Amino acid sequence: MSDVQSAYGKLAGDRGLEQLGAFAPGPLTPLLVEGKGQPLEPALRGALGDEVEGVVGELAYTRNKTFRFQVALTEIPAATAFAPRVFCIRRGRSTRDDEFYGFEARHSKLWTESTALNERYEVATSPYQDPNWLRQLFSPAFVDWLGTKPPADFSFELAYGALLGSIEADDPGADGLDALCEATAHVAARIRRECEE
Amino acid sequence: MQLNKVGISLIAFFGLAGAAFAIVPILAGAPGQVAGIFASIGVIWVLVALGLLWYARRQKEKAAHNDWIFRQGLRGTATVLSAGSSATVNEMPLMSLRLELDVPGHGTRETKRREIMLVFAASRMEPGLVLPVYVNPQDPSEFVLVW
Repeated sequence: MSDVQSAYGKLAGDRGLEQLGAFAPGPLTPLLVEGKGQPLEPALRGALGDEVEGVVGELAYTRNKTFRFQVALTEIPAATAFAPRVFCIRRGRSTRDDEFYGFEARHSKLWTESTALNERYEVATSPYQDPNWLRQLFSPAFVDWLGTKPPADFSFELAYGALLGSIEADDPGADGLDALCEATAHVAARIRRECEE
Repeated sequence: MQLNKVGISLIAFFGLAGAAFAIVPILAGAPGQVAGIFASIGVIWVLVALGLLWYARRQKEKAAHNDWIFRQGLRGTATVLSAGSSATVNEMPLMSLRLELDVPGHGTRETKRREIMLVFAASRMEPGLVLPVYVNPQDPSEFVLVW
């Protein structure tokens, strides 16, 4: 059994998660699109955090070279009405090695006053979104949390209600996976709360 | 669509390398036939760079116009009646959408729209999906579809 499988096995035991073997979420977010349909394997289903259910698994794919991400996926359908797309990606993250297109779909970079946030992440949204809702979502407390608490290589993508938290570690261990679940659940709870308000 | 870092690099490469191909052999005193071949390649590359620049500028102007419609336009909804794609552009599906627009003061009407979408967005375009739209108050046939 590989180290990664051992880590997932331990996480399943610690958190009482269901072992799925493999799970194919479909092209729900940019990172999952880059994966070209590769399933999450190994994959576990269950509680990522307080009142947040989802799937956690390893995504591995090849785009010239092999990329490995540990990802946690959950659904927040209510978010679509407020912000179809919000991406908070660690600066410097690479998800493909075969980029040769000079034009891409338009997006807007979200401006925040937080130097810590801007140094650590690139935050982008779909154009024509309500800037007030986005500013409320990225409240000072949430920005502070994003800058200090999640794993160092954490990023998240919210696309049409699908929230994908991810880390880049090849071998994160059960503790790293646990931190990924907690961070994703925290982001999910924050977005849900803002949708309800 | 917007120009990205790869696009800027491509424009710089084709522009500078094309100019070099066209000029350097002549300045270096290369034989006429060789200089002519290099010059032809160089001119084509420069034209490619100019074409990309023109397209990027057009997209920027379009984005600015759409931003104006977003700020000044009438907000309504578009219900997806049908969606399909038979082509891709830069790995992104070119979606053909049939929409029912509902804009306050303008009633409802059916319209068609072709839009280059990100894969994960295209996969969500199913009949019944309701998306926000912003309609140009000066020309109700023009609208920004928020996807």
